[in-house]
Amino acid sequence: MKDIQELNLPADIRYSNDHEWAKLEGDTVKVGISDYAQDALGDIVFVELPEVGDTLGAGDEFGTLESVKAVSELYLPIGGEIVAVNSELEDSPELINQDPYGGWIIEIKPDDSGDIDKLLDREAYLELLKAE
Amino acid sequence: MTAEIKTTPLHQWHVDNGANMAAFGAYDMPLWYPQGAKGEHLAVINAAGLFDTSHMAVVTVAGAGTRELLQKCFSKDLECCIGLKKNPLGPGRSVYGLFLDGNGHVIDDAIVSQVTDLLYMIVVNAGMGAPIAAHLEQHKSALDADIVDYTDRLGKVDIQGPLAAKILKRVLQDPDAVFDGFTYFSCRGWFADLEAIPAVKLTDGTPILLSRTGYTGEFGFEIFVTADKVESVWTQLLAAGEQFSLIPCGLAARDSLRAGAVLPLSHQDIGDWPFAGNPWPFALSDRDADGAFSKDFIGADALAALEPDTYTLPFAGFDPRKMVVSENAYVADEEGNRLGDILTCATDMAIGRVGDTIISIASTDGKPEDFVPRGLSCGFIRVERRLDPGTIVVLSDGKRKIKVEIRNDIRPDRTARRPLGEMI
Repeated sequence: MKDIQELNLPADIRYSNDHEWAKLEGDTVKVGISDYAQDALGDIVFVELPEVGDTLGAGDEFGTLESVKAVSELYLPIGGEIVAVNSELEDSPELINQDPYGGWIIEIKPDDSGDIDKLLDREAYLELLKAE
Repeated sequence: MTAEIKTTPLHQWHVDNGANMAAFGAYDMPLWYPQGAKGEHLAVINAAGLFDTSHMAVVTVAGAGTRELLQKCFSKDLECCIGLKKNPLGPGRSVYGLFLDGNGHVIDDAIVSQVTDLLYMIVVNAGMGAPIAAHLEQHKSALDADIVDYTDRLGKVDIQGPLAAKILKRVLQDPDAVFDGFTYFSCRGWFADLEAIPAVKLTDGTPILLSRTGYTGEFGFEIFVTADKVESVWTQLLAAGEQFSLIPCGLAARDSLRAGAVLPLSHQDIGDWPFAGNPWPFALSDRDADGAFSKDFIGADALAALEPDTYTLPFAGFDPRKMVVSENAYVADEEGNRLGDILTCATDMAIGRVGDTIISIASTDGKPEDFVPRGLSCGFIRVERRLDPGTIVVLSDGKRKIKVEIRNDIRPDRTARRPLGEMI
């Protein structure tokens, strides 16, 4: 496994306790999983995506990732309406392993764009990882 | 109270080389290295992979009563088990079978190799050296049989894949002599000096026991050496294999390769229930038309006339989706009626479906030119009635559902039995 100092954790995005990331782009937010999560899961072989148009609350399950190691639920870091899913992942789930930040999973229109500030910044997420 | 976590002599190497480690039995073992389990699985199909399997245990038995003791305790009839002609096991040959209890339940599966006239080597699973040695002691009565449990005193490195012989050749002294007539399920040499048989040595002089066996379904070898030599053997092989794309492989790839090859994992696919109604009847002695075995052995009476009450069946899915085996997991028919349990569910990364046929990246017939498999889930279920191949069943964890097909076989075009002469 990667050492903590080897992890790619961009400073311009936010992180959740469940190892998802969220990035504000205009008035929508892209969501994916962190480098730590993809490294721990190993090769991702299948991504189950939600339907565009679903509205979910913070902490709701929005899909599953199936890796060589486990089947993992994905939880929405902040509430909102799903406006896009990364359908490239259906045929190429390995994009998440190759680039967990380019390999976004869903895009949401947040109920409140201020919610993203409640998530962990890079430093706080690093602290969380050190404690795990 | 926490159980002691054991390590193999390669543990530090695994950690230093970025392996994702996890507990397997009592041992902290690599699941995969930075290349990932999928790349490792594919390497074994396309080229070769190197596995640290030093967690497995070796028990040796020596003495004039050894064969009689094994005939009593081991499920295969050593007098008629080799080749189509059912020849007796002799020096340099190996056979797969089981140690059963009196109820016909599996204590462990094993490969028994006859090394010399009076010396046999038994390879069992992690943590099973002491129980199998004790089982043999318990049944040896007055027989002359010296039983030694080598747990953690030996290491084992498996080189598996179609290029395994080409790589091994580069580190062996006199490889032509070693490889001459070296058939599947044979062994040569010993991991220490032994006058009775020709030694097999690496170019640096390390004596090894070389076995043409494995747990991937692919062509390859298992190499047994004393624990102090494991890291040197490992690094010599990796260096010799670099130009052949040899990579280290973890237990995740080992599990997906063996599932696709329809090989059972002891204590998961076979275990403390009667050994019957499964795809591995070849692990028992031959039977006559009435079901009677060719020899008497512990467990034979219980199995001879047994009508199975469960059936263990291989399956393959239609995409890479798989089900994590847990207490909540079960298998049902298409109408939702519960049929039984999931024993193993892995993803064979080297295969895909072309119409109704499963094709491997190693296939030559029927493989489309642009074939890039996404992998198929596969493994074993244990259900209350026999299901024909082609039957569709549904795996569930109580939440997700995956349709899979009952199969006779899973990954086609495996290389394990290919003649060695074709592989160098």
